[in-house]
Amino acid sequence: MSDIGWQLIYWDHVGEGAAWIVLTLVTYLLFRALQQRAGGNPVLNPVLLATATIILLMTLSGRGYDDYNRGGAWLLWLLGPATVALAIPLYLNFAQVRSVLLPMFAALMAGSITAVLSAIVIGKLLGASPETIASLAPKSVTTPIAMAIAAEIGGIPALAAVFVIFTGIIGAIFGSAIFNALGVKDPRARGFAMGIAAHGIGTARAFQVNWQAGTFSGIAMTINGILTALFLPLIWLLLA
Amino acid sequence: MSLRRARDLVIAFAALAACQIAGSLMSHSLHLPIPGTVIGILILLAALTLLRRVPGALRDVAEYMLKHLNLFYIPAAIGIMAHVALVRQDLIPILAALFGSTFLSLIVGVLVFQWVQGKTISDEGEA
Repeated sequence: MSDIGWQLIYWDHVGEGAAWIVLTLVTYLLFRALQQRAGGNPVLNPVLLATATIILLMTLSGRGYDDYNRGGAWLLWLLGPATVALAIPLYLNFAQVRSVLLPMFAALMAGSITAVLSAIVIGKLLGASPETIASLAPKSVTTPIAMAIAAEIGGIPALAAVFVIFTGIIGAIFGSAIFNALGVKDPRARGFAMGIAAHGIGTARAFQVNWQAGTFSGIAMTINGILTALFLPLIWLLLA
Repeated sequence: MSLRRARDLVIAFAALAACQIAGSLMSHSLHLPIPGTVIGILILLAALTLLRRVPGALRDVAEYMLKHLNLFYIPAAIGIMAHVALVRQDLIPILAALFGSTFLSLIVGVLVFQWVQGKTISDEGEA
C-alpha cells in the first residue's frame, strides 16, 4: 500500500473522529460563553445549541451518526468518570445532609417515584410506543445513569439522553416560578426538589440562584440517580 | 504547574476512570441491573469514607469535570439523529410527559420536603 493510501485510511478512522471531538469542544465552549454572557439564561442551554449546530454541520457535510461516533464515543465515555466525580461533593457535604435526613429521604422517595410513574402513565395514556415510554421513564435522572436504565428496560439510550436534557431545561426554566407560586422559601427544599426533578441542569441553575440551594440540588441529584437505578427496573417489571 | 502536581492530577483522573471501569465490569460480569456508573459512585464513596478525606488533586479534577459536565452530554444528545422518526411519531406524548412529569415532581419534591421538615421541627420542639 502506498504512503498516500495509508494516510487516507488514517484520516478516515482516526482523523475524522478527532475532528468531531475538536468541533464538539469548540461549539461547546462558544455556546457556554454565550450563555454566561446572557446571565445564565437556561433557554440558551449549551448542550441543546451545540447539538443542533453539530447535527446541522453533519447534515451539510453528508456525514452520519456512525461517522461522528468515531470521536463522539470517546467523549461520551468520559461522562462515566465525570459522573463518578459526583461522589466527592456528596462526601464533602454529608454533614449538611445529616441535619435534614428525614425530610430529605421523604422528598426523595416521593419525588423520585412521582417523576418515574407520572412519565410512564402520561406516555401510556397518550399512546406512546413502548420504546419511547422506556426512554421517558428515567428522564429525571442524570444522563449516564438514565441511559443505562433505559438500556436495561428496553428503551433507547440516545433518546433517554435527549429527554433527560429537555427535562433539565424545563426544570431550570420553570422551577423558581413553581416554588414561588407554592410559597416555599427554604433554599434547601427548593434546591432539593430541583435536583430530584431536573438533575444536573437544574443543579447548575440552582447554583446560580443560591449556593445552599445548589449544594442540596447536587446531593439530591446524586442520591436520586442511585435510588432510581435501583428501583426503576423493579417498577418496570411490575407494570409490564 | 509543577510536574508533581501534573502527576497528581493524572492519578486523580485515573482513579475516577478506574471506579467507572470497575463499576462497569462488576455490572456486566455479575449481570446486575445497577448501572456501572452508580457502582462506581458507591466504590468512590466507600474509598473516601475509609480514607476520611478527599485528596486535593482529586477534588480539583472532580470540580473541573463537574463544571464541564455539559460537554459530555453533547455526543449523547447527537444520538437523537438516529431516532428522528420515532420522536416525530410520539411527539405529543413525549412533550406532555416531559412537561407534566417534571412539574409534578418539582411540586411533590418541594412540598414533601417542607412538610416533613415542619413536622420534625415541631416534634423535637426545636431543631
